[in-house]
Amino acid sequence: MSALLEVEGLVKHYHVRGGGGLFGAPVVLKAVDGVSFAIPAGRTLGLVGESGCGKSTTARLVLGTLARDDGQVMFDGEPVGSVRDARWRSQRRAMQMVYQDPLSALDRRLTVGKQVMEPALVHGLGAAAERHEKALSIMDAVGLSSRFFDRYPHELSGGQRQRVVLARALILSPKLLVCDEPISALDVSIQAQVINLLVDLQEKFSLTYLFISHDLKVVRQVAHEVAVMYLGRVVERGDPEALFHAPAHPYTQALVGAIPTPRTRGRARAALQGDPPSPINTPPGCSFHPRCPRAEARCRSEAPLLRPLDDGRFAACHFPVLSTPAREAA
Amino acid sequence: MSDASLPSTEVETSGRRRFFRAWPPAVLLALAWIAFIALVSIFADWLKPYDFMALDLRDRLAEPVFMDGTFRHLLGSDELGRDVLSRLIESVRMSLVIAFLSTLIAAGIGVSLGFLAAHFRGWVEQIILGAIDFMAAIPFLIIALAVLAFFGNTLTLFILLMGMHGWERIARITRGLAIAAKEQGYAAAASEIGASPFRVYGAHILPNIASTLIVAMTLNIPEVILLESGLSFLGLGVQPPLTSLGNMVGYGREYIQTAPWILLSPAVVIILTTLAVSVVGDWLRDRLDPTLR
Amino acid sequence: MLGYIASRAFRALVTILLVLTFAFFILNATGDPAILILSADAPPEAIEAFREEWGLNAPLWKQYLGYLWNLAHGELGRSMRDGRDAWAVVSERIPVTLAITIPALIIKLVIGISAGIVAALWRDTWVDRLVMAFSVTGYTVPSFVLGLALMLVFAVQLGWLPAAGADSWRHAILPIITLGVAGAAVLARFTRSAMLEVLGQPFIRTGLAKGLVWRAVVIGHAFPNAAIPTLTIAGFMIGSLVAGAVVVESVFAWPGVGRLLVSAVGNRDLMVVQAILLLVTVTMVSANLIVDIVYGFVDPRLRTARGGPARGGT
Ligand SMILES: Nc1ncnc2c1ncn2[C@@H]1O[C@H](COP(=O)(O)OP(=O)(O)O)[C@@H](O)[C@H]1O
Ligand code: SF4
Ligand SMILES: [Mg+2]
Repeated sequence: MSALLEVEGLVKHYHVRGGGGLFGAPVVLKAVDGVSFAIPAGRTLGLVGESGCGKSTTARLVLGTLARDDGQVMFDGEPVGSVRDARWRSQRRAMQMVYQDPLSALDRRLTVGKQVMEPALVHGLGAAAERHEKALSIMDAVGLSSRFFDRYPHELSGGQRQRVVLARALILSPKLLVCDEPISALDVSIQAQVINLLVDLQEKFSLTYLFISHDLKVVRQVAHEVAVMYLGRVVERGDPEALFHAPAHPYTQALVGAIPTPRTRGRARAALQGDPPSPINTPPGCSFHPRCPRAEARCRSEAPLLRPLDDGRFAACHFPVLSTPAREAA
Repeated sequence: MSDASLPSTEVETSGRRRFFRAWPPAVLLALAWIAFIALVSIFADWLKPYDFMALDLRDRLAEPVFMDGTFRHLLGSDELGRDVLSRLIESVRMSLVIAFLSTLIAAGIGVSLGFLAAHFRGWVEQIILGAIDFMAAIPFLIIALAVLAFFGNTLTLFILLMGMHGWERIARITRGLAIAAKEQGYAAAASEIGASPFRVYGAHILPNIASTLIVAMTLNIPEVILLESGLSFLGLGVQPPLTSLGNMVGYGREYIQTAPWILLSPAVVIILTTLAVSVVGDWLRDRLDPTLR
Repeated sequence: MLGYIASRAFRALVTILLVLTFAFFILNATGDPAILILSADAPPEAIEAFREEWGLNAPLWKQYLGYLWNLAHGELGRSMRDGRDAWAVVSERIPVTLAITIPALIIKLVIGISAGIVAALWRDTWVDRLVMAFSVTGYTVPSFVLGLALMLVFAVQLGWLPAAGADSWRHAILPIITLGVAGAAVLARFTRSAMLEVLGQPFIRTGLAKGLVWRAVVIGHAFPNAAIPTLTIAGFMIGSLVAGAVVVESVFAWPGVGRLLVSAVGNRDLMVVQAILLLVTVTMVSANLIVDIVYGFVDPRLRTARGGPARGGT
């Protein structure tokens, strides 16, 4: 089974000025540091991790809107680059982005209709009348009434704006949708609606999703597979239920522990401790070791590789949690 | 009875007050004047009582009506018997057209260079910033004067040259705004769907920064009017037989003792026009973009 | 700091060189000086002799290098009209121009700055409105209109002062007032807004809150801080001491550098025009340079930021 999207060893380092403001010495910021995953067609990969761990950077590297320093991205059998050549342009039609903040992703000077039609116009698809038709039908599919066609973004609610962003992404009939925190800027009351909409749309248009969120709970609702990121690396990957009930990596465990549910209530939560992580001067060895309750001497010197566990999951940890209370109970 | 009428008057006055706070009387007057001279320029050919070059040798240096003259020449006539009112109308049109076209040119240059600097950054930006500094550091009037005299002045060249005035300010503003806009989601989103830079800058960023640019252009217009009239006054701007406001004043200078009315009306029109456009420009700036300067 | 001064000075030099180059090629590209000066129907031998004499037969780039070479040796060429040294022709007019621009500068500084301060301190009173109304005229009344208006009233109607010429000190009064009033209006507006900005700053308000006398706060804190932007504008005014009087000199037939420029341009006297351009550019650029350097001393943050202080005025 070959995947629609295959990502191998993605790296993006920024050279930034260190402490001391403008005059600090240049240091390397490892935003993304060797990320690999694959998504089969029609499936959803959930990418989770704390803010700043490199999720958005990964998204932009995957789409080729940011130049990578190393690694490879294969989409539908073709490499994805960041040079704006003919292939890059044609790939835009097959892979689209859904942004975190719909208000800033939309142009406040253009009507909803114009913005939904714009990708079709840019790629020269159909005559004006066809584009108009298509936009209306896509707006209908995302649950936007045609009366919004001539409205401006600021006249819409947050949920409606995110539907506009979705319609704009879908008008080119893409195969892959990269959703970067698509609901975290929305009111809690409408988050579920948008999640359900995304699930419906996946079915309807047989879409493949790379779904990014800092919230494991949200990812669990939509993803067929989950990858957990920490400081630019994937530390655990696997089936969402298994990951949620029996996290193998201490970091995943801490993420799960941070979610209050009836199941976790009785247990001692493994809260995150220690300094918040910084992608500058990452610690040697396992970069999680300063915060890890299981850390030992080996963790400080040797970086763990992402390797398969018995149950088909992958974890990058020298001492993965193999049997958990949840599992024993089951 | 009086009790009943009280609330309605209150509503009325507060409504009126709100109206005048949004549209101060000075701004209304300025807009009225601008509309008036704009209409005069558009319908100049119908409004002129005489051809502006027509000589009336029987009625030379006729006094205007307000100086006990006849209605034959409302604003008097010059020493060739040309009707001052007709010349004034023609001059208003000429000066407005020059100011408007030159400002459009300056805006075109400024916006293009500002966008180029914002798009490419790096050495392109450094060169453009250098050109901006250069423009701000040179005596533009003097150079314009020399160029005009040596190039043999044509109207086209003159307008192009006036279009060199003020582009650097618009370029500086555009660059700053475009760099800020690029950081914002909508421009990146457009670029990421595959839109060309022309589309990103022209269809997205430009409309978003247009209000500030319009303010800057409005504030440029009175400066161009002053520059044009100054050069024309020196005899280096608009050349006879064409005429402009500065031209009329420069010509009238010779007759300041005997026929001051020749320069009086164009001088008043220059002052009122620059004043009106400045007032409107300041008002627009306060309303649309208080951050500008 | 030294590096900052050096980079500023280097840019000033580049600016001057660019203006000279630009002027040289523009002025020389715009027609044959021989024909312009001798008229087209002059005998061909005369034109040929003229070209030979002025080195006009050499290719333009050779003429340009020759021009730079002479410039480096302090020679600005000779007037094509009367063969005199161009610099001599120009320099004898400098004092004439300064005779009106320096008194005008003093008027600008004294009236402009004090009017601006008064307007800021008595903000929103009739004094403020009066000053602002006056300052608007500085932006909207062209100097030639102002000059002619003064001439009409004080020379033609009242007969108190001569209308034009330069025969006595009384002839200088109207040009000085014309220049001074326009500049004072601009400066008043700048001073007012600089003062208002400073008066709104927290340290002024804390000073007042600490019980300091109002006058002490204004004199001790507000003035020095408001002085910086104001002096910048004043610096640019000094830079235009020579160039700023072109129009006014023409209005009053005052025989300074400005009028020389207008007539040299009319006569197509290349070398004189270039000498004046050099003079004007050098004064302007050096004034800017000095302002930048002073600014650098006063406000060290600017040394690292490019572009130097924001420029105002035209
Ligand atoms: N253009 C950039 N220059 C420097 N650092 C950047 C840049 N973009 C992102 N980063 C840094 O890279 C890290 C990862 O950022 P990001 O991918 O946005 O994280 P996430 O989306 O997971 O919150 C952060 O520390 C961020 O500060
Ligand atoms: S490798 Fe060591 S430090 Fe890293 S997560 Fe595993 S146990 Fe903790
Ligand atoms: Mg992010």
